This record gives sequence, C-alpha cells and structure tokens, in this order.
Amino acid sequence: MELRGTVKILDQNYKVGDVVKAKIIVIHKMDTGFTKDKESGKTFPRFYLKEITATYNGAIVASFELDVATSQNPVIQFPFKVTGPGTLVIDFVNSDEDKAQKSVAITPAG
Amino acid sequence: MQRRSFIKGTFALATIGLLNPIFFRHGLSAAEEAVEMPFTELINDYLSGKTAEDGSSIMALNIPEAPENGAVVPVEVTINHPMTADNYISNITVLTTKNKANKAISFDLTPANGIAYLYVNVKMGQTQDVVILAKSNRGKIFKVSQNVRVALGGCG
Repeated sequence: MELRGTVKILDQNYKVGDVVKAKIIVIHKMDTGFTKDKESGKTFPRFYLKEITATYNGAIVASFELDVATSQNPVIQFPFKVTGPGTLVIDFVNSDEDKAQKSVAITPAG
Repeated sequence: MQRRSFIKGTFALATIGLLNPIFFRHGLSAAEEAVEMPFTELINDYLSGKTAEDGSSIMALNIPEAPENGAVVPVEVTINHPMTADNYISNITVLTTKNKANKAISFDLTPANGIAYLYVNVKMGQTQDVVILAKSNRGKIFKVSQNVRVALGGCG
C-alpha cells in the first residue's frame, strides 16, 4: 500500500540558527486490533504507522516510534535548529513494512 | 449454468487476489494480533527501577480538558530544559492510562532540536490521564500528567 503523507515547515522567514517547527501529517489508519466492524463483526487487524525518521542534511534530528494510541492520521510537530540550507527528509514505515519518503527544502533567509 | 457461474466466481476471486496483494497480506501479517499494553507495565518499563521526578515546574502542557471527540486529542508539550551537547532531553514519551494499548509515541531527541517540544494527536477510549515522560541524557526522568474528560470515546 502506498503511504500518503506530507511535511512542511511551520515558520516563515527563518534564519540560520533559528529553531523552527516541522509538521508531519500522514494519512494512515491506526487500528488497535481491538475494534470490530459493526456490520460484519469482524475484527480489524492491528495495522498502524510504526516509525518516522527525520533526517536533516544527513544527520538524524528526530525519530519517532508510534503505537496504536496515536490517533488515526497522525499529526506530529517537532522542532529543530536550522544550520544552513538543505533538505529535511522524512521516512515513514508502517507495521506491514511499507515505506515512503517525503522531503522539504530548508531555505533560510539572509 | 450453475457450473458456469461457479467458474466465473472462482476466476473473479483469483483476480482480486492477484491484482490486490493487500487483500490477502493483511491476513498473513505478523503484526495483526491485538497486543494489550497495560499502563503500569509500560511505565515500569520506561522507569526501569528509577523514580520519576515531578516535571510540572518545567513541562508546560497544552491539552484540552474536555475535547469534543476522544478519537483526536491534541497533546502539546514544551519542556523548559537546556538542550546543550552534554545536558539535553533525549526522549519524550506520551502514554495514556486506560486504553487497552496505552503507548502513543516515543520521540528521540538530540541537541540539534534546539528546544524540547512535541505535538501529537492521541486517541482515548474513555476519560483518563495523559502521562508525559521525559528522559534527560543524564538519566533524570520527569513525569507530568493531566486528566482528560472524554464524552465520546475514540476506539481504544
């Protein structure tokens, strides 16, 4: 299954040395394995987004281990310090080992 | 005629299986079983013998006390702690207390984050506490919790 997600930088007009926040949104179910379909009575299998890793210019700045108490379509915000122009690369892995990668350009002003 | 429709049906099923591997893969995946994660087990695992300090003086929470819907509860935490190379927050973990599976997220930080901050959406099956644990690289553990009243539960 193709994972759909996006990443963006919440701040604008940031400079080198500033701390900016990145926002990650992933369209993904977070099935706990306990819930049942009301019509068929079948249990939805445990199926969730497992890992998110953020890499900024080759160095890992944030890594997340998610579990089923996160809401469906997880939204995550995290800070990082801008050290120069480059890209922030986000890798997603779900419980079926499906992978996806998104990136956003970091362009500090000045 | 009956035989004809039987063959047609078998073919249709086989095609679904071929074209759409997810259709069958779910049934085979190892992660499918429901795993109960009781809160006490998770927190003991996190503390691993240490005691948690009260983090309410340095941790600022922004969680609605009575969200409209338990399926999406925004949890925002800012920790007023230095983030220097030898003294920083290395992990923030968000747990709930009364869901069947209580672990929401574990966030590993580095000094490159600048500040210790996390925003995440959590789901809650019933009225319960959100517990936020933070670990510093010097081995200190801070804990803070807030009760959240949930009228309409998200799937727990």
